[in-house]
Amino acid sequence: MAEKRVYEVMFIAAPETADEDIAKLNDSITTLIETEGGSIVKLEDMGRRKLAYPINKKNDGYYVLFEIEGSGKEISELERRMRVNDTIMRYLTVRVDEERKTAQKLTDKRESRQKRNNERNKSSASRNEPEEFAAEEAQDIQ
Amino acid sequence: MDKKPKKFEGEDEIIDIDSGNQLINEKMPRRYQRRRQSQFVPDYIDWKDVDFLKRFTPERGKIMPRRISGVSAKDQRRVATAIKRARAMALIPFVTD
Repeated sequence: MAEKRVYEVMFIAAPETADEDIAKLNDSITTLIETEGGSIVKLEDMGRRKLAYPINKKNDGYYVLFEIEGSGKEISELERRMRVNDTIMRYLTVRVDEERKTAQKLTDKRESRQKRNNERNKSSASRNEPEEFAAEEAQDIQ
Repeated sequence: MDKKPKKFEGEDEIIDIDSGNQLINEKMPRRYQRRRQSQFVPDYIDWKDVDFLKRFTPERGKIMPRRISGVSAKDQRRVATAIKRARAMALIPFVTD
């Protein structure tokens, strides 16, 4: 529990809620997270968009995405609040730090391998074909 | 003069072998042609990236099987979870009729 966890919390608010209410909701969530000891990394207002299928007989929804860093306690409290809130039609929390870490590891591995391969190719090329030859070849092509 | 026709015979034989192979293939057709690594899968699959996930959900909205998409088993699992998350948030449909 010592390490910080990163979560993505997305919720869909009812489409008829006014923009001020959305802003108020976002503010209350921010204060809640901060009082519980977490921090907001990112707040993305995706706005109204069409739902892929109707939810509660509604075809649109107001999407908001939070990225929260914390211990996990504030997430449980936030989820409880969202369940109670009538304007929120649906929410989803995804823990992303571990997936990102593994993805970063993969990227690093691939990059280092590529670097090694490039170096190997370069050294073998210079051994077999001195640069003069390469230059001559280039001239021939021209 | 005698040598040339022999060469042609040899060529004919090769063609025969080829066509024979084709016949076997016609008898037992592979229903799906494997498209190995036709889809590029990034290291981090974002479940909010609708355009990417759409590539794995043809018209009906079903998850494309691995034998068609040609991604590795590991990648297929990651893509599948991402699609399921996106479905839960109504970003992509469960089914389209």
